[in-house]
Amino acid sequence: MLSFTLRRLASMIVVLLVLTASLFILQQVSPIDPVRALVGQQADKAVVDAARKRLGYDDPLPVQYFHYVENALRGNLGVSLRTGQPVTSDLASLLPASFELVLFALILAVPLGLTLGIVSAARWRGSGIFRFGLLSFAAIPQFLLGILLILLFFSHLNWLPATGRTSYVNPPTGPTGLLTIDGLLHGEPAVSLDALLHLIMPGLTLALLPAVAVGRVLRGSIIANLRADHVRVARSKGLSEWRVLVRHCLRNSAGPSLAMGGLMLGVVFQALIVVETIFAWPGIGSYVGQSIPKDDFPAIAGVTLLLGAAYVVTNTVVDLLQAAADPRIRS
Amino acid sequence: MAAVEPTIRRRPLLHSFALSELLRRLRWTERFALAALAFITLLALFGPLLAPHDPKLATGPPFHAPSGAYPFGTDDVGRDLFSAVLYGIQTTWLSALAVIASGVLVGGTVGLVAGSAGGWIDNLLMRITDAFLALPAPILAIAVVAALGPSLTHVLIAVSILWWPYYARLVRAEVRALAVRPHLEAARLAKISWLRRVTRHLLPGAIPVTIVAASLDISNLVIMLAGLSFLGLGAQPPTPELGAMTANGLQYLLEDWWIPVIPGVAVFVLSLVGNLAGDTIRDMVDT
Repeated sequence: MLSFTLRRLASMIVVLLVLTASLFILQQVSPIDPVRALVGQQADKAVVDAARKRLGYDDPLPVQYFHYVENALRGNLGVSLRTGQPVTSDLASLLPASFELVLFALILAVPLGLTLGIVSAARWRGSGIFRFGLLSFAAIPQFLLGILLILLFFSHLNWLPATGRTSYVNPPTGPTGLLTIDGLLHGEPAVSLDALLHLIMPGLTLALLPAVAVGRVLRGSIIANLRADHVRVARSKGLSEWRVLVRHCLRNSAGPSLAMGGLMLGVVFQALIVVETIFAWPGIGSYVGQSIPKDDFPAIAGVTLLLGAAYVVTNTVVDLLQAAADPRIRS
Repeated sequence: MAAVEPTIRRRPLLHSFALSELLRRLRWTERFALAALAFITLLALFGPLLAPHDPKLATGPPFHAPSGAYPFGTDDVGRDLFSAVLYGIQTTWLSALAVIASGVLVGGTVGLVAGSAGGWIDNLLMRITDAFLALPAPILAIAVVAALGPSLTHVLIAVSILWWPYYARLVRAEVRALAVRPHLEAARLAKISWLRRVTRHLLPGAIPVTIVAASLDISNLVIMLAGLSFLGLGAQPPTPELGAMTANGLQYLLEDWWIPVIPGVAVFVLSLVGNLAGDTIRDMVDT
């Protein structure tokens, strides 16, 4: 297990280097000159050249790449062209809102995916129609689901708020940055409840696609497992069908579903940008959404690096968890 | 002595059944899925010919609800949404097919070369593939398009760069599995050239699994391309594109729901047809 862990961590670092190299190359390709962006478009050529030398933008590319990685590790991701603030401080102030949303979506997606997988794997009347429903849900683009939810629960029923993360002008700013928890910590449960109501629609929109994807993988591996010899033994011992499913099938099927969940994180992160834009959620997704029309590449690259790194690290952890649960993977 | 090629029947695409027999065995739902796939493809190719109006021009009253004259209504400046959706379907569907074609071509070649060559070539190519595969393609695509500047061509370039590794892995695994089969050993012993072994004996075997993966991929790509378009990264206005139409109509959602909802529903239909057809094709090839 130790050698597997070390190998996996080494390849994670390689992938992170590839990620930074890709973003570095994109920065070179992009028509935005970071020096001009800093000193101003109308600045004198001598001033620009001096700044270019001072900032190290006339170094050879490998040296510049080294500085880029060094800066990224120090938390220096450049200055946003739109807000004029360092990208890192922009992200730091917006991250808790996005983190809360993704966390909430995961909390919704896990039981949803499990239920969908188990229910569609079992043979019962109408399971064909259920499978068709699952396929349809997998086909809904997040922006359509988001606006349909707004039409139903906000416009028609007026049950849920459609935009933002809170109705309070000055919500408590607490230790965690997560409004649902900070409200409780400050003894204001009404704030928490309000934050929870704001989370439901964007959270559901974000959760549906990964839940269905995990459900479909789970269904496939449960069906494959139900044909396995050890399941026949378990049945012939007289165990109930439910117990066979939960104790002898689900555990073996968990690995592929977990891997699928890790991979779906990439889709979730793209959807995060769409969903935050629709629900005016004040997080890093809206930040990207607003940066795109302004061609604010430093901001977009900063978020890409952050989300990309989160994706790579999460998938490494998923692999390690899988290997811990199933020794066959380690070889 | 001239090399004698072993007379081994090529693995048929759909295993033991002839295509016509297979179609006869399909359930009506599966026939429907395949028919829908054909219909959408035809619609994508020829749909704009059916468009009653120019989708870029205001040809009617603004905010006109769906009616006989304007089946999908008109948008905020009076452009006909039915015509715009027909053009949008063309863009989205053909883009998805183009990305898959390039992914299959590039990934398939890499996988075929890696799997059949083995050794350090295999090692090197698969290391590169794995590094690409470990990156989150949907987010990186946004950064690539943002760096190049928003346009449909750049979206296609960005997504194509990121989409091949999956097919490379798939084809390589299939080729490795085939390479140890007896008929390949026979071909090697018969001194059939490497190139001929690869093209005649390995490539055909990797086709079924690639077709299944590609057909299941359509729906993923439709949703992803529509998402990029929604974020303003695809074709620029006034060129009609489904995701961008929803994004522009978002501000009118509560009063004039059809403006953002109908283009979104079109994306849903495309993606659903991709899903249903993909499932059907998988069942056809796997059974």
